[in-house]
Amino acid sequence: MRTKRLSAALSVLLAGALVAGCSSSPEEETPQETGPVELTFWTWAPNMDKIAAVWNEAHPDIKVTVSKQAGGDEAAAKFLTAAKAGNAPDLVQAEYQMLPSFVAAEAVADIKADVEGVRGEFSDGIWRLVTLGTDAVYGLPQDSGPMMLYYRQDLFARYGLEVPRTWEEYAAAARTVHARDKSVYLGGFSSKDPGWFAGLAQQAGGQWWSITGEAWQVGINDDATKKVADFWGGLAKEGVVDTQAPWTPEWNAALNGGKLLTWSSAVWGPGVLSSNAPDGKGKWAIAPLPQWSAGENHSGFWGGSSIAVSAGSKHRKAAAQFLSWLNTDAKAVDLLIKEAAIYPAAKSGQQLLTTAPEYFANQPDFWQQATTIAGTARGFTFGPNVNVAYGAYKDAFDKAVQQKSSFTDALAAVQDATVADMKKSGFTLAS
Amino acid sequence: MTATMLDKPRTTAGADRPGGVRRPLGFAPTAVLLLGALYCLLPVLWVVTASTKTRGELFTSNAFAPGTGLLDNIADLSAYRDGIFWQWMANTALYAGVGALLSTAVSVLAGYALAKFRFFGRDVIFNVLIGGILVPAVVLAVPQYLLLAKAGLANSYWAVLLPSILHPYSIYLARIYAAAAIPDALLEAGRIDGAGEHRLLRVVALPLLAPGMVTIFLFQFVAIWNNFLLPFIMLADDERFPLTVGLYTLLATGANQPALYHLVIIGALLSIIPLIALFLTMQRYWRTDLSGGSVKS
Amino acid sequence: MSTAQQGARAARAGATPYLYLAPAVVLFTLFVAAPIGYTAYLSMRRVKFSGLGLGKNSRTEIFVGLDNYRAAVADGEFWAGWLRVLGYAGLVLTLMLGLALVFALLLDSARVRLARFSRIAIFLPYAVPGVVATLLWGFLYLPSLSPVHATLRAFGVENVDLLDPSTVLFSMVNVAIWGGTGFNMLVLYTQLRAIPRDYYEAARIDGASELAIALRVKVPMLAPALVLTTVFSIIATIQVFTEPMTLRPISNAVSSTWSPLMKVYTDAFVNGDLYSAAATSLVIALISVVPSLLFMRLVRRRAFGEER
Repeated sequence: MRTKRLSAALSVLLAGALVAGCSSSPEEETPQETGPVELTFWTWAPNMDKIAAVWNEAHPDIKVTVSKQAGGDEAAAKFLTAAKAGNAPDLVQAEYQMLPSFVAAEAVADIKADVEGVRGEFSDGIWRLVTLGTDAVYGLPQDSGPMMLYYRQDLFARYGLEVPRTWEEYAAAARTVHARDKSVYLGGFSSKDPGWFAGLAQQAGGQWWSITGEAWQVGINDDATKKVADFWGGLAKEGVVDTQAPWTPEWNAALNGGKLLTWSSAVWGPGVLSSNAPDGKGKWAIAPLPQWSAGENHSGFWGGSSIAVSAGSKHRKAAAQFLSWLNTDAKAVDLLIKEAAIYPAAKSGQQLLTTAPEYFANQPDFWQQATTIAGTARGFTFGPNVNVAYGAYKDAFDKAVQQKSSFTDALAAVQDATVADMKKSGFTLAS
Repeated sequence: MTATMLDKPRTTAGADRPGGVRRPLGFAPTAVLLLGALYCLLPVLWVVTASTKTRGELFTSNAFAPGTGLLDNIADLSAYRDGIFWQWMANTALYAGVGALLSTAVSVLAGYALAKFRFFGRDVIFNVLIGGILVPAVVLAVPQYLLLAKAGLANSYWAVLLPSILHPYSIYLARIYAAAAIPDALLEAGRIDGAGEHRLLRVVALPLLAPGMVTIFLFQFVAIWNNFLLPFIMLADDERFPLTVGLYTLLATGANQPALYHLVIIGALLSIIPLIALFLTMQRYWRTDLSGGSVKS
Repeated sequence: MSTAQQGARAARAGATPYLYLAPAVVLFTLFVAAPIGYTAYLSMRRVKFSGLGLGKNSRTEIFVGLDNYRAAVADGEFWAGWLRVLGYAGLVLTLMLGLALVFALLLDSARVRLARFSRIAIFLPYAVPGVVATLLWGFLYLPSLSPVHATLRAFGVENVDLLDPSTVLFSMVNVAIWGGTGFNMLVLYTQLRAIPRDYYEAARIDGASELAIALRVKVPMLAPALVLTTVFSIIATIQVFTEPMTLRPISNAVSSTWSPLMKVYTDAFVNGDLYSAAATSLVIALISVVPSLLFMRLVRRRAFGEER
């Protein structure tokens, strides 16, 4: 019986579908020329729609619509494909390292003339990430990720450890800890996070890309970075640092269960820790990264992003106006901190951070410390094919970690892959 | 023989069938099957237990130990971005429902024509259509996007619906079903009586093909429900996302934000439930007689 | 139009079959043929930058002929990927289809209890989307929270890494078997149900055991369906992509070019190089033509033999 009725229903639906298929044509979206300017905005920052709503309330003439995107590796490719098809949104979130490839693809607009007024809101180091060292300005910085050392205060006390001030001390502590308990590590090396390794290279003074005259120079295996690779390669070979893939349930459990005593990470760490290691609440603290020589004081950047205006946008001025508000207006930056949980790139924004995150209630001066550390962070210029370099990093260091082989060789492989790709694409390279 | 097979699905359980008199192997066959069932069920069971866990419990307790946060998780998910999850659910139902319906229509028409007519170019057309399975979706997604964008359809419901309609497997199945279920004699008789071809299709072919159509519909429904890459590349506006892409935005939250594991897992569970319901209510149609019961009596 | 033909097999052509095929052919043209054509076009092009590539007009798309194909074929990793896929396919095909066959025969055999439950359970993984499978296996393969490892420990097997280079292939095969056995089982089971019961009765009367009936009567009759599931599975394993992508975030032993199709994905979706991806994907399609030609021949001879 059921069969009969179903088949009858399906036949009717089928006939209907056929008719519909013949008569209906896809509706055309006609752009509205009158009325307020409409801007679309691709971002993965949480609650950005709420922040945009505040703007929309105050600016009825410029309406911003947020499209929340996934923030994975594919985000950049998706934007570039959309730009190629002439379908790009007006505004797009771009991680700093991806911005040069957006510029090279001519997918983002130069907004220098529109944002001149807010230049003073950002430090020179951060500003360079959106100018790429040229005269143009390709976006406004939104958040940044100065790196610092997260460590378990309670377990450091239990193991009788001092917070390492140099990487040498870090190595010694790593050996001590692992010798005491084979299941515990002082920290980890991640072959899955090229951005993390880039930050450590920045701290050591590496310059992966630089511009000399009209040519690119690629220095991924420069002496500073080799030093970093050697250091971690040695510890990995000894087996005294954890080399498992981070961001997995296993890694979360290790962070949560006190099997990892430190995490060299960036200022956005509290969000990750409170979510993935809830049991560590009130037990973690921050300190500056260990230094390469005693007495130095440097850090690097891991993560952070800018907002750019796409080259195809018909409303560049309006978009830039929104951008300036979003990233420099006191109220907007306050919202970014509270709603989107980011560490703002604007200098004024950093002063808004006063109460330590709840997770770090044990360290009431958390933000003062963080701001001090942020002042010591140095970045470098990113090149036009960071995605290729980062992909090569994962493949090469995955293998090196797995085979316990030389990290310097792995680094050389990343350098070679990056240079080969740039040559293939026709970029001028300094010899 | 084959026609009746398609016409009246037999009762499902094997136990009540005549012929099964002896049990030389005792409980062994049942045990093997149950082991297989367990192997397939355990990971699914994990989704169920994991969805009951709070954020903290997820990384602290054994994978199969139940947690205490099921209702909170559902509430959190429903509250996320003003309940956009349910919008994704509705979108997915639309994509899968309408897409599978259109796909069934197109496949059945094509399969019927291929099975029951002789015409110039039949083999070529069939081979070319089936050859489509050789080209993986990963390869087609970007060019499809670029072409649909040229037509002004990218980021619309159509962008996901239209490319989902053509499905070589379904055409293949439809051809087999049509060959097996529709006796040529019936069509001939109709033609002699002067019935037009469209009338024959409606009155003779479609009713006979109905069970096969349901099967094709179900397979397509699941395929579209779980499709990720096509909607991921086609859609920019998260109000139009299906569940897979929506859940992915919760998982890939960007380098500086923690993944919303507990929301992804409860979301995954809720997204599987409609499919399980489909399995249970329509299980008699879950059959794929790939070679059309080529055993002739 | 309605004149009967000699042999009474099919109607004389006329416009009807073309009309019925039109939607499929139109859709094929728009959403398969045109994109493939576009892919072929892209595969012979490349973006060329000049200088720093940052200023206006420093970027042009140029015609490069077969350069991208040469690069694809010259890449040792590409062929290493094929080798890995070959090993993977060998394991998946034998184990998955073997299990599917055993389950189907058992379901069809006499007096199996809870058959309906088992059938649905084995088919259930078909409903789990890939995004979830990634999470799932992350929890099950990594040691500290995993019941798999807990079980192994209970049997005295300590410290097994299911994700190192020597084991990751099997972990991947397991994901494939888990996801694919149910579908194939269903195909074979449906075929079995279509076999008239009288075929076995004769054998039973001759005193053949259930096992003998299964091996000597049922399996030969399943041959056409087995061939077809095999060919479908071959094509699916050549296109293997989801399983390695699933394990890559949690394992150090899966490179971005583990399978040929992963290379295409990495080029297109991570490196943004549509042109190389296009060339590589066409090479993959060409290579898959070999088993598929085989497939076409089998399809026609086995399944449609009775039609002509």
